[in-house]
Amino acid sequence: MKKQIANFVVNGEPYEVVLDPRMTLLELLRDELVLTGTKYGCGSGECGACTVLVDGNPVPSCLILAVTVRGKKILTIEGLAQNNTLHPVQKAFVECGAIQCGFCTPGMILTAKALLEENLNPTRQQVRESLAGNLCRCTGYVKSVDAVISAVEEMRRGGATS
Amino acid sequence: MSQELSVVGKRLLRPDAPDKATGAAKYTGDMKLPGMLIGRVLKSPHAHAKVLDIDTSRAKALPGVKAVITMADVPQKPFNRNLLTLARPSKAEDKSRDEFIFNPKARFVGDAVAAVAAINDSIAEEALKVIRVEYEKLPAVFDPLEAMAPNAPRIHDYAERNIASHILYPFPKGDVEKGFEEADYIVEETFVTSKQKHCQLEPTACVANFDSGGRLVIRSPCQLMHLAKRQLADIFDMPEGMIRWLTPYIGGGFGQRLSLTNEPICVALASKAGRPVKLEDTREEDFLMRESRQPFIETGKLGVTKDGIIVALQSRLIADAGAYFTHSGLTTFVNMLNFMGLYRCPNLACEADVVYTNTPISGGMRGYGNPEAIFALEQLIDMAAEGIGMDPLEFRLKNIKREGEPSPSPSIPIESTALHECIRVGAERIDWKSKRATKKGGVKQRDVGMACNTCGSGAAPAFLEHANAFVKFNADGSANLVVSPCEMGTGILGVLAQIAAEELGLGSEDIHIVTGDTDITQFDIGSHASRSTYVIGNAVLRAAREAKEKLLERAAKLLEVPARELEVRNRRIFVPLHPDKGVSVAEIVRNAIYNFQGESLNISGRCSFDPGGSRPFLATFVEVEVDTETGQVKVLKVVMVPDCGRAINPTSLEGQLEGAAAQGIGYALTEDFVINTDSGVLISDNFATYRIPTTLYVPEIEVVLVEKPVPSGPFGARGAGELGMMGMAAAIANAIYNAVGVRIKTLPMTPEKILNALKTK
Repeated sequence: MKKQIANFVVNGEPYEVVLDPRMTLLELLRDELVLTGTKYGCGSGECGACTVLVDGNPVPSCLILAVTVRGKKILTIEGLAQNNTLHPVQKAFVECGAIQCGFCTPGMILTAKALLEENLNPTRQQVRESLAGNLCRCTGYVKSVDAVISAVEEMRRGGATS
Repeated sequence: MSQELSVVGKRLLRPDAPDKATGAAKYTGDMKLPGMLIGRVLKSPHAHAKVLDIDTSRAKALPGVKAVITMADVPQKPFNRNLLTLARPSKAEDKSRDEFIFNPKARFVGDAVAAVAAINDSIAEEALKVIRVEYEKLPAVFDPLEAMAPNAPRIHDYAERNIASHILYPFPKGDVEKGFEEADYIVEETFVTSKQKHCQLEPTACVANFDSGGRLVIRSPCQLMHLAKRQLADIFDMPEGMIRWLTPYIGGGFGQRLSLTNEPICVALASKAGRPVKLEDTREEDFLMRESRQPFIETGKLGVTKDGIIVALQSRLIADAGAYFTHSGLTTFVNMLNFMGLYRCPNLACEADVVYTNTPISGGMRGYGNPEAIFALEQLIDMAAEGIGMDPLEFRLKNIKREGEPSPSPSIPIESTALHECIRVGAERIDWKSKRATKKGGVKQRDVGMACNTCGSGAAPAFLEHANAFVKFNADGSANLVVSPCEMGTGILGVLAQIAAEELGLGSEDIHIVTGDTDITQFDIGSHASRSTYVIGNAVLRAAREAKEKLLERAAKLLEVPARELEVRNRRIFVPLHPDKGVSVAEIVRNAIYNFQGESLNISGRCSFDPGGSRPFLATFVEVEVDTETGQVKVLKVVMVPDCGRAINPTSLEGQLEGAAAQGIGYALTEDFVINTDSGVLISDNFATYRIPTTLYVPEIEVVLVEKPVPSGPFGARGAGELGMMGMAAAIANAIYNAVGVRIKTLPMTPEKILNALKTK
């Protein structure tokens, strides 16, 4: 297949890449752009470890061809903190003890961020429903839900920066 | 000594958490070295087949392919990938060394046959496709009972009837036949546990390269890296000092990383290619090629008097090793210890057969034989209680052991147990009495169930257990702690920092942890058997103490008081009765390093610690709802009451128990490892077909800590990593029985099984 020059916007930065049309968004991020915060967990869209936000929506980057998201606003975990200040959701995950091995964490944080930007008053059940596509084997999810609820307070106070 | 603790016992933030929250944490698969190649492995499509010939010429000729290896290209030394075998005295002839890097005979679908390294993944995949292998297919057997039949296909030459090992319980007691004669009521039942997969989120990965000095540098998420280094040196016949093992962040372990995984193949590729190689599993390969929990068929028999005293306990086990031996002997041993050792009983006997089958390899998973034993034992307990008309809770309280009695490792007495209190507290929190008494009706039935268990804090005396720690001060009064646990998400780095900080009178943020490099860290087994807090923590405590003594000695000279009159707190050394008479830690340390009086010293301390053992305990209570029309089970509530001695970091401890509970729920209800029994092909090889609990499947979990500090633990602490896994499946099984009157004896307890049982009730 013929490679082509393609333009991407990731975490607010423009990138020009020689793109193989077969490349997934996950491969683009990890291999081409060396943004390794987004993880390969299953390759089949089941585990959520590869979750990134495209135009604000959580997507499984392992199932998306990079060529289809040219020019769209892509946010990875690396783009969340601003000026060395953690996003309220990141801060909450750290403070609530919701991070153990950390492999599911980037995907889970981004999914939670997207939820809270849509609904700043979720119930615990709504948080669980939103995170149902992010598998975690370490935590049992208890403190992850705690963290999302706890981030609400700070986001309400205007702590969200992006 | 002041008993008030400033750092230990606090819910401090983990030092590794911020990196993990920002994506800065680097795992093995994130590593990129100049000139690095990508490796892929060719796997046998047959469950049992001789590898007659391999033609790699077309693969080698593909542009971009830099190495192709088969059994002809690698050392022919047999080994057992289970690293814990190195932690036991070795026998001259060890039949459990039953595998090679590439086996001349494939023994399961997925057995490695060849490997390639290429400049990218696509080319490597293409190369695999053009390797031609000539197999001679052999009949295969997938069930352990069938494998033991006289005419079953022989999987390993030495193992008649495919029995790899016959194991007797090493601590039999009394006479079980007589015991059963004396019993008023006997229960006997057979339970079958499943091949649970660890499903750690990070698939296996390895990066290997030979540096300019010819030393092998390996990056791999192994749990036992010092042992792994030795094992690899053995296999490749190279001096161990020529290997450096690095461990980046680890995305979960749960026992999946107690063995060598793809490192030997990765090293062989790197050696052949003369370039760094990264070898990563796909998720399907993780399901297929990496070890699972050991499945057991366990027939247990329990005899009890009408007054509720257990008088005889007997068990017969069949362990399904899968294609290679790895951990099967050890998990069987742990199963026996915990089945026989939890309750007081004068007559004990147990024997087991470890059996090969042509299925993916069994290994050890969190609990390592203990949850499997408890699934059987704790149901037999409920059954016996019912038989004599006693509340199963009261029955347990009557028979669980007390301090001073032999633990499941009988040479080690129980140092401390609060299990009785754990049971009472848990029963209250779940509202045991009233929920058991509430009578049922309707399609959905609810009830509660319980289980209790113990586990290890380290595996002494059976295993090599010594831990080494080194503490050195920096000129600013902070300290570096050099240790070798495996931080796979347990929070151990934070816990060890808290222990060191408490002893040194510093804040935990003053402790810089140096780990993950065998060139720097001294020998330590690593993380297994829930040992890290208790064993490594003790080494850290003593290393810190030695450093503190030197600190106080210097301060004593400066302040002109005896060292024993000094205390260190909040980074300051002072006389407690005259607190303004003191000096900062930083000043003492700096003046020792930058000392122009001929008394220079970089203050440090080290310790090599050999532990005894002190076991934590747990009472698990669950409330379930069973839908009698669909057979579905909903876990409504979980209450876990551990006795871990003191919690060094309560948040981390809770996290371990909550995570284990979720794994236990999956083990109990949904996780099913399914093989096509005609071909041996693995059907459940991804998260769509192998269901681990999601946020919607795990209820709120209440962890109530019962803290009874133990004298032998660092600040009174014991381990907890595996503890929460043990009782979930049994507690759920007991709750299901209490709710709808059917007892499911095989895992997972699926809706189909429950509906069938209800129909035949």
